[in-house]
Amino acid sequence: MAAELSFSDEIANMMYASHGNPIRECIQCGTCSGTCPAAEFMDHTPRQIIGMIRADLKDEVLASNTYWSCASCYHCTVRCPAGIDIADMMYALKRYSMWKKSYQEGLIGPAFSESFVKMIAGSGRSFEPQLAPAYLFKYGPRGLIQEAQMATSLVFKGRMPLLPRKIKGLENFQRMVRRIIPIGESS
Amino acid sequence: MTERIGVYVCHCGTNIAGVVDVAEVSRWAGKHLAAQGVVVSRDYKFMCSSLGQELIQKDIKELGLTRVVVAACSPHLHEKTFRNASKGAGLNPYLTEMVSIREQDSWVHTDKAAATDKAKAILAGGVARVAHNTELEPLRVPIHPATMIVGAGIAGIQAALEIADAGYHVYLVEREPSIGGHMAQFDKTFPTLDCAACILTPKMFEVGSHPNITLLTWSNVEKVDGYIGNFTVTICKKARYVNTDTCTGCGICWEKCPWKVVDKVFEAGMGSRKAIYTPFPQAVPKYPVIDRENCAYFKNGKCKACQIFCPTEPNSIDFNQKDEMLEVQVGNIILATGYQLFDATRIPQYGYGRLPNVFTSLEFERMCNASGPTEGKIVLRDKKTTPKTVVIVHCVGSRDENYNKYCSSICCMQSLKYAHLVMERTGAEVYNCYIDIRTPFKDYEEFYKRVLEEGGNFIRGKVAEITDVARTPNEEGKLIVQVEDTLIGKQRRIPTDMVILSAGIEPRHDAKEVGKQFGISCGASGWYIERHPKLDPVATMTEGVFIAGCVQGPKDIPASVAQGAAASARVLGKIQQKEVALEPVRASINENQCSGCRICNNLCPFNAIAFHEDRMVSEVNPALCQGCGTCVAACPAGAISGTGFSNEQILSQIEGLLLVNVDGNLTEAVPG
Repeated sequence: MAAELSFSDEIANMMYASHGNPIRECIQCGTCSGTCPAAEFMDHTPRQIIGMIRADLKDEVLASNTYWSCASCYHCTVRCPAGIDIADMMYALKRYSMWKKSYQEGLIGPAFSESFVKMIAGSGRSFEPQLAPAYLFKYGPRGLIQEAQMATSLVFKGRMPLLPRKIKGLENFQRMVRRIIPIGESS
Repeated sequence: MTERIGVYVCHCGTNIAGVVDVAEVSRWAGKHLAAQGVVVSRDYKFMCSSLGQELIQKDIKELGLTRVVVAACSPHLHEKTFRNASKGAGLNPYLTEMVSIREQDSWVHTDKAAATDKAKAILAGGVARVAHNTELEPLRVPIHPATMIVGAGIAGIQAALEIADAGYHVYLVEREPSIGGHMAQFDKTFPTLDCAACILTPKMFEVGSHPNITLLTWSNVEKVDGYIGNFTVTICKKARYVNTDTCTGCGICWEKCPWKVVDKVFEAGMGSRKAIYTPFPQAVPKYPVIDRENCAYFKNGKCKACQIFCPTEPNSIDFNQKDEMLEVQVGNIILATGYQLFDATRIPQYGYGRLPNVFTSLEFERMCNASGPTEGKIVLRDKKTTPKTVVIVHCVGSRDENYNKYCSSICCMQSLKYAHLVMERTGAEVYNCYIDIRTPFKDYEEFYKRVLEEGGNFIRGKVAEITDVARTPNEEGKLIVQVEDTLIGKQRRIPTDMVILSAGIEPRHDAKEVGKQFGISCGASGWYIERHPKLDPVATMTEGVFIAGCVQGPKDIPASVAQGAAASARVLGKIQQKEVALEPVRASINENQCSGCRICNNLCPFNAIAFHEDRMVSEVNPALCQGCGTCVAACPAGAISGTGFSNEQILSQIEGLLLVNVDGNLTEAVPG
């Protein structure tokens, strides 16, 4: 009879396949948080999140916006003196909170992630005009106009298609994705 | 069966008895191994205690034992103890075997029944083996009373003085033009802030004038032959182009020399010297050297200013001097070749080399030094502006999986010293960015407190990056240090004028090759491996070769001095013995079987195997051989055997191990 896993063990297991060292090797030096370009938007710095996971503060971690603010630039991972893949840990936390359907209310992160993954799984490509509305209205009318202007110039430069495109061999890709992430299946 | 074997099973307190049923092992051996010649089998709480040893001695005398097997800890620890005990009772020490039922059994298993069975198997192996042991006599070799010390930093200097003062000769070899090492580059030394030169130069002068010390500066060790007591060392004395018999060290030559060179060694690139130079005013010896690469005469055949102005009669400048090869005989060697600074350009986000006002620790040391490039003034790279804010970055290249994993141990105190010096001399605001402050030795914590009282700021966080790209007006024109203040959990950007990178220390780039020359090896981090990390920190696995100072691992001045003295005590002990007994466990080659393939020659880690071209066979030098067995295993012809590790001994030990099945019952011996 297996003992119930602690929160830090669960996250450790989710990071099992990542390249770095386990988070228990963290020496709390703060290189990740000092490096992070998104640190000022985070409720807790990445280092604090590691400390909170180690202390099994599950509710506080899941309620934090930190990992939804991660821009996945991997700078922290590159610099970490303990060799921890911190960006991957952020992904583990995102997956965990989606899985447990437990995240801070009013965040655009979860909705964005979900629609992004669904879109990729559907067509094999990202299509901004479909993706944008999910979070565009958050920024109010001025933000909306700015975004619309940017989108227009992107379209004129040929950097953004008006109609969604599909990739070749979409079937194969979808089969592949289904093996990796069973979408829609509640686990 | 003619041998009478005694078996002794040790409890080692609960170390063994906690897991292995020692009484059962002892009872089993007495009963089931009787056919192998076991006449007595006992267990005892601490076999290594004098009472335990007396037990063995009593049995040898009363029961006429001819062989002894002790099942206890690793032979590494107590083989000598038990062999001496047997010797005391009149038995040749090499007829006593130890088998490990602690490191190889009780410490690594939790299943008590299985561990007890394993102990029986290990013991049976030892009993089977010991029957084939032969009487051996240790090799005795005389010890040459002279010593060579390589590296004349503070550790080497200390060792040289201790040995020379005891009345024995020392050859002190140094690759730079002057002795003194890194300590000569420093200004103040923590935690007492003694002036480094004031405490070092008296020792340097003593070395320079000591009748028992032959000082060989500007020299390299080329070749080391021989073994403990009888090393023959070939030293290359590089051409100085200065005749040291006539030179008075007056300094006119380097004053007149028109060629300025950036001094990357002693001044860490902060200052310049001439093409003919001594690294610093108090250099020992006082004679200059000509830097051939930068001397105009050697480059294009013109100049000779030094020779023209040399006031001595006859002229001391000799452009025709050649490198000179010296051969010296020594009995022992101390390696004290020190460390090199971590190359801070390897961490691009710290901007060293790109941002002018980012300095390394050694650059800052030179800047603080009164005889350094700024005469002790703490200024920016423009050599004028005094900084108003200084950030000191700890752990640069240390405690980092991407660079060096170990703690460099000196940087915390060094950084605290810098903080003090900056505040004292400039009144600037100082920030120390650290992961952990480590001040474990005498008066170190008090010094930390002193710097705190003096107003030093401490930010707990490893610096993420140093940039000159400003985000706010108050960052304009400054360096910005970005770091998480982990104690408040906020990212901070500190605008500053100057950054000092407290770079870690690492093994010299050629440590591996030098180690190979002397037959010693480097650990995972590149420092030389000591014989025992706690109990024998200055000896190495090669007899007669000792290490002192930072070659063994990062350490500060007090620890280096202590190790220099410790190594010299070990050497003096060897010299006093006049001759040394070497373990007779040696490899030997059967010349009739040797095919001359030379596979063993290069594999030998101690360079103990020589090849005879005339007879086309290899031969082991028994005094150099350490009995490691590499060649024995490697020889494709099976021509090499190790004394004490003959095929007979090894095979019967394996047979003994296999004699027992998992139930602990005796089975048929393995056929063949």
